[in-house]
Amino acid sequence: MTDQSATMSILKDYILVEFLPGEDPGHLTPSTPLVSTGILDSLAMLKLVAFIEREFDIPVNAHEVDEEHLNTLQSICALVASKRSLVR
Amino acid sequence: MDFAWSDEQMQLREAVKSFARDELNVGLKERDKRGEFSRDGWLKCAKFGIHGLPVPADYGGMGADPLTTVGVLENLGYGCRDNGLVFSINAHMWTVEVPLLDFGSEPQKRKYLPDLCNGTLIGGNAMTEPGSGSDAYSLRTTAERRGSRYVLNGSKTFVSNGNVADLIVVYATLDRSAGSNGICGFLVEKNYPGFRVGRPLEKMGLRTSPMAELFFDDCEVPAENRLGREGAGQSLFMHSMNWERACILSNAVGAMQRLLDISIRYARDRKQFGQSIGKFQLVGSKIVDMKMRVDQAQAALYRTAWLSAKGRNVYLEAALAKLTISENWIRCAEDAIQIHGGYGYMVESEVERELRDALGSRLYSGTSEIQRVLVASMLGL
Repeated sequence: MTDQSATMSILKDYILVEFLPGEDPGHLTPSTPLVSTGILDSLAMLKLVAFIEREFDIPVNAHEVDEEHLNTLQSICALVASKRSLVR
Repeated sequence: MDFAWSDEQMQLREAVKSFARDELNVGLKERDKRGEFSRDGWLKCAKFGIHGLPVPADYGGMGADPLTTVGVLENLGYGCRDNGLVFSINAHMWTVEVPLLDFGSEPQKRKYLPDLCNGTLIGGNAMTEPGSGSDAYSLRTTAERRGSRYVLNGSKTFVSNGNVADLIVVYATLDRSAGSNGICGFLVEKNYPGFRVGRPLEKMGLRTSPMAELFFDDCEVPAENRLGREGAGQSLFMHSMNWERACILSNAVGAMQRLLDISIRYARDRKQFGQSIGKFQLVGSKIVDMKMRVDQAQAALYRTAWLSAKGRNVYLEAALAKLTISENWIRCAEDAIQIHGGYGYMVESEVERELRDALGSRLYSGTSEIQRVLVASMLGL
């Protein structure tokens, strides 16, 4: 499993358990909108950011806690990847 | 965790304590009665460097780290009995300076931060509306882009510093159908056409901190005064609230210590039934409870600031600190009145004002109930 797909899997599992309990995992695709559809509200975004920081040991900046960076699994993975490249 | 203060930090803490005690308390009883803001105290604090504590020196501030900042504010709160003045400074720092610092463009920072730090400009934050309090993102004030300007329409209430502010961070929606993702922040100067200050709002406590309603009737804001990108209002506000929760009650920890010290002094001096009332265990246990609450509040404050300095988000810790300090501040003020008996209930003693000032802390920057919701959620519930 590549870094990217492992990250996607970890994030998908977390979002399904925390914010979409009982949802068919097949319905959560890399491009499913999360923020604009209200799956992630403001509180959920804070929880997700706290999880990302803890799980991947990376800091997330204030201006990144928004729709642009957190709206899809794809964009979240891209955020994580960009942070990891800075840490390395 | 290491909360040991360096010599330099210790000197700063002591300096601010004596500055505040000597310079900021004159005429407070009368100002509290009249609900009067001390511009003189505001400027003295700015000159001391308080307003610019978290702002880098490049923009006119002190560039202090979070732990130093809360330590200084804690000691300001110990020396300065004018909790309203310190509240106004907090509103200015955490809801205007910090969002500007972290979301502002370079020209915006250069234009506003130096004067916010030196006290020339007073900052305010306008989020709450008559119909949106805890449900902040349901706001109805609108913003519409028209050429090189945004036009704002709507009203705000409970705006701290509202009637003395020169620069206000105003939240408005560009697209109500987008919900919280349509919100945007704007830097509004008091002289912009269409901006109007409404009636001042009289409060139970923190009476020396002005509060007002604000109205925006086709208020024209230059496009370059948008704070952050379009739709970034939610992250801007979350960031601002997080700092506020973490730091706004730093001075309350100092105020609690002050209440503890005067209560110990009174319990030793006041004689009843032939001995100091502090010798009675029921009085002594209240003092012990006060000490316990001060220590809890201080630990929550320092821990949050220390973690923040490590560069991580402190959503959970900030909400817990806000909750712990506000609830403990109120209990401390109640105990101080009870220990002082009838004298504590008298305006002259200046103890009753502390309770009035403390009570608002359960409401602003998110009620205690909202902090509990946030903490429960962050704990996975």
